[in-house]
Amino acid sequence: MKLILVGMNYKTAPVELRERLQNYCSDQDVALPDLMMNPEIKEAICLATCNRIEVIARLGDTARGEDFLKNFMCTQGNFDINETEKYLYIYRDIDAVLHLFRVASSLDSMVMGEPQILGQIKDAYRMAVDRHATGVLLNRLTHHAFQVAKRVRSETEIAGNAVSVSYAAVELAKKIFGSLKGKAALLIGAGEMSELAARHLIRQGAGNLFIANRTIARAQQMAEEFHGAAVSFDEFPSFLPEVDIVIASTGAPGYILTAPMVAAALKKHKHKQHMLFLIDIAVPRDIEPEVGELDNVYLYNIDHLQDVVDANRAMRRGEALRAEELIAEEVAGFEKWFNSLAAVPAIVRLREKTDSIVQGELARFSAWLGGLKEEDRAHVEWLVSSVVNKILHDPITVLKEESSEGDELPDMAAIRRLFKL
Amino acid sequence: MTETVLFKAALAAYVASAFVYGGSLLKRRVLTARFGAGLMLVALGIHTFYYLFRWIGEADIPSVDVYDTLSFFAWAMAASYLAMQLRTKTRVLGAFVAPVISVLMIVASIDLGGSVVGSSALKGTLVIIHVMLSVAGEALFAVATLAGIMYLIQDRLLRKKRDRSLIHLFPSLHDLDRINYICLFWGFSLLTLGILAGSFWARIAWGSHWQWDPKQVWTLLAWGFYAFLLHQRLAIGWQGRKAARWSLMAFFALLLMFVLESFLFRSAHTFM
Repeated sequence: MKLILVGMNYKTAPVELRERLQNYCSDQDVALPDLMMNPEIKEAICLATCNRIEVIARLGDTARGEDFLKNFMCTQGNFDINETEKYLYIYRDIDAVLHLFRVASSLDSMVMGEPQILGQIKDAYRMAVDRHATGVLLNRLTHHAFQVAKRVRSETEIAGNAVSVSYAAVELAKKIFGSLKGKAALLIGAGEMSELAARHLIRQGAGNLFIANRTIARAQQMAEEFHGAAVSFDEFPSFLPEVDIVIASTGAPGYILTAPMVAAALKKHKHKQHMLFLIDIAVPRDIEPEVGELDNVYLYNIDHLQDVVDANRAMRRGEALRAEELIAEEVAGFEKWFNSLAAVPAIVRLREKTDSIVQGELARFSAWLGGLKEEDRAHVEWLVSSVVNKILHDPITVLKEESSEGDELPDMAAIRRLFKL
Repeated sequence: MTETVLFKAALAAYVASAFVYGGSLLKRRVLTARFGAGLMLVALGIHTFYYLFRWIGEADIPSVDVYDTLSFFAWAMAASYLAMQLRTKTRVLGAFVAPVISVLMIVASIDLGGSVVGSSALKGTLVIIHVMLSVAGEALFAVATLAGIMYLIQDRLLRKKRDRSLIHLFPSLHDLDRINYICLFWGFSLLTLGILAGSFWARIAWGSHWQWDPKQVWTLLAWGFYAFLLHQRLAIGWQGRKAARWSLMAFFALLLMFVLESFLFRSAHTFM
C-alpha cells in the first residue's frame, strides 16, 4: 500500500532545525494546503510539536510522493537534501502504522509515558479533518491509534508514577493525604525547586500557601503569583501548626527545622494526631532527620525523592516492554484491514466492468424491455444484477482473503488477467 | 440441594477473589485488584441468593448455629467492604479482606446445613435480630481492623522509604484511616443495637436483662473498649497510627473473648 510517514524528532534533528519546521507546520492553514496541492498526496496529517514534526500521508504514486515529501521537509526545514538521511526517518506502510501507534502511546516521547502527545495528535487530526485532508485510511488509522494509546494507558503503568522530583513529592503527598484539596503548605525558601513544587501542589487543589524567604521581596513576589501569603523568615515556625505540607529549600548551612520545633507545632494543632509531610530539597539539609521519627510525620529529603524518581523511571522502562507487546498485537490487527485495501482497486474495477456489461446489455434490449410492464421490467433488471452479484461473490471473497494475508497475490493477478482489468 | 450448590459457588468465588487479590499484590497491579473486586461482588451476589433461597425454603425462622454465624460474618464483611470501595479507591484492601472471608467460609462449610444443636430457647425473631446486628457489627470491626493493619504497613513503608511499588499500590493513609473510622462508627452502632435486642430478649426469656453470662461480660468489656476508642476519635481527634493500633487491640480483645468463651466456659451463648 501507499502509506508513508516522514518525520524528525528530538533524537534525529537538532532543535534549530525542528524549530524552523515547527514554525511552518504549526500553521496548518499553510502547511496542509501546501501538502495537498501535490497530486500524489491523497490524504495527509501534519503533526508538529516541540519534540517532533511528522507528516503521515497516503500517496498516489509511491516514488514521486516520497520524493515530494522529502523535498518538502528539506525546503521548509532549510537543510540540504543530501542531509535528509541524517535528520529524517521514513516509515512505509505497516512500519508507519507501528510508529504512529508508538508515538500516540508515548513510547517514543522524551519523557516516556507523558500524556500530552496524545492530545497533540488529536489536535493535528482534527485540523486535518477540518481541512478535508483525511480519507478512509487516515481516519481509520488515527482512530485506531487513539484506541491503542488508551489501551496502553489503562493496561500498563507506563504513565503510572512520577518521573520528576517535584512531582514525586506530590505523589507521595497524595499517598498520605489522599487528596490535596484544601491542604495548606509552607514553603521555606523560595527557590526554583520550591516554585515548581508549589505549582504542582496548586494544580492538585492545595489551598493556603505560606512562603517564607530570607529576602522578603522574593517571597512577596511568589506569594502574589500563587495567591499565597508571604511570611517573615523568622516567624515561619509559628505557621507550622497551620499547615499539612512543608517544603524546605533554603541555602542555610545547618538545620533550620528541628524535631522539638515540629513536635511543639504538632501539639498546638487542633487535632493531636495531625499528619505532616515534610520535603527537604535543600543541600545541605534544612530539616533535622529525627523529625521523620515523630508520630504521623513523614520526612523526605532530596535523595529519597531522587530514589523514587529513579525507581519510577526503571518501572516505566519495564512497562514499556509490555506496551510494545500490546502495540505489536494491535498492529497485527490493523494490518489485516490495511492489506485488504490492496484488493480494493481490483474489486472496484471488476465491479465497474460487470456494471458496464449489465448496463450495455439492458440498453441493447431496451426495445423489448420497453414493451414490458413497469413491474416486470424491474424484475428483469433485478434478476440480471442478482446473477452477476452471485457470480462475483466468490472471486471477491477470495481477493479480500488473499490480500489480507500477505504480499504475494497470484489470485489477484489471475483475476486481472482473466477479466482483462 | 440448591442451597448447597449456591453456598459452594459463593465459597469458590470468594476463594478465587482472594487468589486474584493475592496476584495483584504479587504483580503490583491495581488492575488485577479490580478483577478481584469483581469476583468478590459476584460471590456476594451468590451468597445473598443463598440466603434468600434459604429464607424462602425454610418455613420456620432460620435457626442459628456457629457455622451460620461465620457465613453471615463473611457476608457482612464482603458487603461492607464493597460498599466502602464505592466511595474510596482502596481496591487492594481487598487483598486483606478476601482471604479472611475465604477462611470464614471454608470453616462455615464444614457443617453446612447440619443439625442444629442449639437449645430451643435460642429461637425467635428477636434472637435472629440480636445475632444479625451483633455479627454485622463485629464484621465491620473486622474490616476496620484490616484497614488499620494496612494503615500500619503503609505508614511503615512510607517511613522506611522502601518498596515504592507497594507504596504506590496501597491506598493512601487518609483513605485507610477513614475506612477504619467509618467501619468503627457503624460497627459500634450495630453492635449497640444488637446488644440491646439481646437484652430485651433475655428479659422476655429469662426475666432479666443481665445474667453474668461470660459472653455478656466480655462483650460489654469489648463494647466499652470500642466506645472509648470512638470517643477518643470524635472528641480528642485521634487519628492515624494511634487510632489504627487501638482498633487492632480492641479487635484482639474481641477475638480473645470469642476463643476463651468457646473453650473455657459454658454459657447460654454456647451453640456447639
